[in-house]
Amino acid sequence: MGRYVVRRLGQLVIVVLGATMVLFACLFVLPGDPVGQIAGSDKARDPAVIEQLHKQYGLDKPLVVQYGTYVGKLVTGDLGTDYTQSRPVTEILGPKLENTAKLAVAAIVIDIVIGISVGVLAAMRRYSIWDVSATFITTLAIGVPSIVLGMIMQRVFVIELDWFPLIAGDSFEGIILPAFTLAIIDAALVAQLARSTMLEVLRADYVKTAVAKGLPRRTVLTRHIMRNSVIPVVTYLGISFGTLLGGAIITETIFNWNGIGLALIQAIQQNNNPIIVGVVTISVAVFVVLNLVVDLLYAALDPRIRLA
Amino acid sequence: MTELVSGTGEPTAAGPVPAAPGAEPSVARVSQWTDIRHRFFANKLAVVGLVIIFLLVLVALFAPLLAPHDPLKQDLTQTLQSPGSAHWLGTDALGRDQLSRLIYGSRIAVIVGLASILVAVVIGVALGALAGYYGRWVDTVIMRVADVFFAFPLLIGAIVIILLMGRGVLPVVLSLAIFSWATFARLLRSQVLSVREMDYVHAAKALGAGQGRIIRKHILPNSLTSVLVYATSNVGIAIVAEASLSYLGVGVDPEVAEWGNMISAGRNFMGVKDFMWTYPSLAIVITALGFILLGNGLRDALDPKMR
Amino acid sequence: MRGASSAKWVAGAIVIALAATACGGGDDDGGSKGSGKAGGTFRMGITEPVAIDPYNAQESEGILVTDNLFTGLYEPTADGKVNPALATSKKVSKDGKTWTFTIKKGTKFSNGEAVDAESFIRGWNRVAVKTAASDVAYHMAGIEGFADVQSGKAKTMTGLTAPDPYTLQVKLSAPDFEFYIKTTHTVFSPVPKVAGDAKNKAYNEAPIGNGPFKMQGKWEHNKSITLVRNDDYGLTKAHLDKVQIDILNSANGVTLEYQGFESGQYDWARMPTPQLPAAKAKYEPQGEWIQTDTNGMNYLLPITDNGPLKSAKAREAVSYAIDRDAIIKGVFQGMYTKSTTILPPVFTDVYQKDLCTSCIKQDKAKAKQLAAEAGLKPGTTIEVAYNTGAGHEEWIQAVKQQLEQVLGVKVKSTGKPFAELLADQQKPGATGMYRFAWGADYPTPDNFLYPLLDTASINKDENGKVTGDNRGRYSNKKFDDLLAQARATEDQAGRNAIYKQAEKVAMDDVALIPLWNRTQLRLANTKKFDGLKMDFHEDPNLSEITMK
Repeated sequence: MGRYVVRRLGQLVIVVLGATMVLFACLFVLPGDPVGQIAGSDKARDPAVIEQLHKQYGLDKPLVVQYGTYVGKLVTGDLGTDYTQSRPVTEILGPKLENTAKLAVAAIVIDIVIGISVGVLAAMRRYSIWDVSATFITTLAIGVPSIVLGMIMQRVFVIELDWFPLIAGDSFEGIILPAFTLAIIDAALVAQLARSTMLEVLRADYVKTAVAKGLPRRTVLTRHIMRNSVIPVVTYLGISFGTLLGGAIITETIFNWNGIGLALIQAIQQNNNPIIVGVVTISVAVFVVLNLVVDLLYAALDPRIRLA
Repeated sequence: MTELVSGTGEPTAAGPVPAAPGAEPSVARVSQWTDIRHRFFANKLAVVGLVIIFLLVLVALFAPLLAPHDPLKQDLTQTLQSPGSAHWLGTDALGRDQLSRLIYGSRIAVIVGLASILVAVVIGVALGALAGYYGRWVDTVIMRVADVFFAFPLLIGAIVIILLMGRGVLPVVLSLAIFSWATFARLLRSQVLSVREMDYVHAAKALGAGQGRIIRKHILPNSLTSVLVYATSNVGIAIVAEASLSYLGVGVDPEVAEWGNMISAGRNFMGVKDFMWTYPSLAIVITALGFILLGNGLRDALDPKMR
Repeated sequence: MRGASSAKWVAGAIVIALAATACGGGDDDGGSKGSGKAGGTFRMGITEPVAIDPYNAQESEGILVTDNLFTGLYEPTADGKVNPALATSKKVSKDGKTWTFTIKKGTKFSNGEAVDAESFIRGWNRVAVKTAASDVAYHMAGIEGFADVQSGKAKTMTGLTAPDPYTLQVKLSAPDFEFYIKTTHTVFSPVPKVAGDAKNKAYNEAPIGNGPFKMQGKWEHNKSITLVRNDDYGLTKAHLDKVQIDILNSANGVTLEYQGFESGQYDWARMPTPQLPAAKAKYEPQGEWIQTDTNGMNYLLPITDNGPLKSAKAREAVSYAIDRDAIIKGVFQGMYTKSTTILPPVFTDVYQKDLCTSCIKQDKAKAKQLAAEAGLKPGTTIEVAYNTGAGHEEWIQAVKQQLEQVLGVKVKSTGKPFAELLADQQKPGATGMYRFAWGADYPTPDNFLYPLLDTASINKDENGKVTGDNRGRYSNKKFDDLLAQARATEDQAGRNAIYKQAEKVAMDDVALIPLWNRTQLRLANTKKFDGLKMDFHEDPNLSEITMK
């Protein structure tokens, strides 16, 4: 187990390094000087100022050296300095990451609550009107992409009904619409997954045995059925948490949620490379770490799996 | 208690129909395909999906015949017209016919959706097969590279590539492919690993078949089922991703008639000119649903166990 | 939470209404006397500024804050004039190289420190030093010793001296009879001793100034900036108690401002283009609609030394081929005003309406004829580049289609991030046209004509890269001479006359293709506030607003 974790951590580092390297190579061969002009205007910066800024950001050094410096700092949790405000990237992205995390957590909660309850209900009342409508609605939900869902949510609940503020800020009511928009597709997938695993477990021999043995219904449900149905769902949720950070770009853009997705889109317009690299590094790192956590959790939940 | 387990005793829906014992192998093969077809067409939703996609492809193919106007033709005296007899779905901020843009938009959806997944499948299958079959360092190298690409969220990765290549159809296709192949590689590798140990592969080896031939003739055909299923549903995902990129302003060129561009242009008119974004939204939803239904149908028909 | 704050707001409004009637008729400097609370809170949204410290404040948002935290020698007015602020007199030597300003005595920074000549010198040197890497330091380039300070050889500019505590003497390296106009820029603000150098983070985030307002707390990045009235202000005090500035995301800040105004959260707002007709219909009758042409202009920037638009006739053909009226009506909902000059109309003393004859009305025949004469053949490719994510996509497509239809040329339009667009314009061998906009830093025609069109502003480096702002590479000796002559003319009227001639020379060459003025539209809560106007920087005139 210990050796497995160490090996996986090693792989994780390789993946993050590989990703940043790919990214670095891409961004820094882009034409144009990221500090060549005065922010947001058509005015070129004074060459003397440009030179000073190049020195300040290390842009006067060869790409390989820049990458080395970047990785060196990365180890200490430093993501460099951004180009428009000369503030540490971590300081700028910190609160934004927190906002995105809030959104993602809210979305996961919605996934769990809605997804699992719908899935379990559908499985236990198989072929009932509930089951059929659950299948229908979840299929439909998977087909509605976030750009469309977000627009509809905004049109109906903000503009038409005025139930939620357009300027969300950090308020609780502000998070509801973006969280739902982000969550719906996954909630539908979780429901389908929960339904099918539940059905599978219900058919399994050990459940039949438990029932035949005369164990109380509650014990069978919690100890045998739930525990075994939950494994694939947990796996899925873990992975989807990582991808939520990516999906958040759309949701954050539509709802003006001040997270890292929105920061990425804005940084692209400004050629603010440190922010771009920072956002991507964070989302890749979160993804791989979560994958590892999911695998470990998997082993903990399912005694048949041994990690080696 | 009885209520709880009552469902478990029922026969599985659309379970595999076992081939008649003692039947000739060739007959068995024919009946296997017949079964698949039967299972597919028995699934109404799958048929709906197939019809949607069939229609989509027809619209894309015959766009010039179907579109009432040139989708790029501006008329600055007729901007932002609400749907009416002259323009069934209204006009946009440059006076272009929305219906024509919607119809031509299907071409971008079909091209990007199919091409990006095709490229991803080709790369993924080739690398996944190599990794699965040869194992050892080949496996390690390929799969670590796949890990790197797998770790990028699709949209974020695609944005970076487009930043590098500029906007346009080709960059969108490539960027989506670059961040989709890793899944196919993983899928194929795991398939190969299980198929490799099957008796008929051992038999082929024993008979002296070359490695290339074994991969081509025996391993690939048996692994492709799941790739096909997965690819079908992924075409829908690619179409949505492409529209999302355009929506974010990093997809195809803004003047191109494309659904994401149309939604993006309509976004500012929300509550004022809703027709600008609702129709293209509907087009995307229907298309995405079509591919999901088709994918689900294929999955259930080809391998009922995967359900 | 929202409910609570609006209840408080209503209560506050009643108090102010009473106070206003109590002192009605009096023309003292506002409600700030007597009841200290009689001022109210003004609320608005902006996008994250680059800096609010005068050393690097540059765009409308940053200057909004800096301008209210600091007061310098002179101030610009919305209609392009200059008013004295802390300067009580100015004197310029005959050769135009030595300026002497006397500074109002007895004014203080909000930390109690006196504002004297030394605080100006401190502030200016702080900006000019190399390590500050200030984007706005170049406005000081005319001061003697600037070059040495910029290159790091010196720490202070030799041209700045204080013969006595309230006299500031500025020596320039070349004659400039308009130097005092430049001091209207916030970069020429005085700073107290605590400011330290430009990299003093504490001061960058919460500058201590001498303006009508002071900071409450520090700059909450991406969140908010709060200003409160400076009751010890040395000039006419402000009336508002507080200014609450929310920092919104640039992605849809405009929409948020508009929605905020509609829901009563903001007192000042921009509007998304699609909402303009509805907003105008609703708010104009109520007197809450502000529509002003400001000191900015929108052009197409043609590359004049290379490619298909090398000849003036070709550029004129392009200008004739564009139907500005149709684009303004169709794409901008009729809210912009067509440009027919290089200089903005707010510079009323030099404005020459319809100077650009090819701008007045689309003329397809003339466009074709000029194109033929210039050898701009049908089928020629003209590249038009613009920056993405700033709403330029649509009108560029309209221009493209008009040029293609009228001239039969092939227009290749490409959208790029800002930095790439600039690099493109700068590189040797650039051709075609670029979307281009320019806003004045201070109210003088020179601020357009010199940087955009003077040969000296091309400023190629050793690789042939254009480092100045004349990226159209326009070069005309006659124009340069006129500009030099204007700069050496002491009296304002004489100078303006020459600037007008220079503008005509450049316009005859179609050195820039004017499109539309920078028309700014705002919603302003005139129900609650009196005297609400847009200032030179397109911001509300916070220090003059009073509660109704």
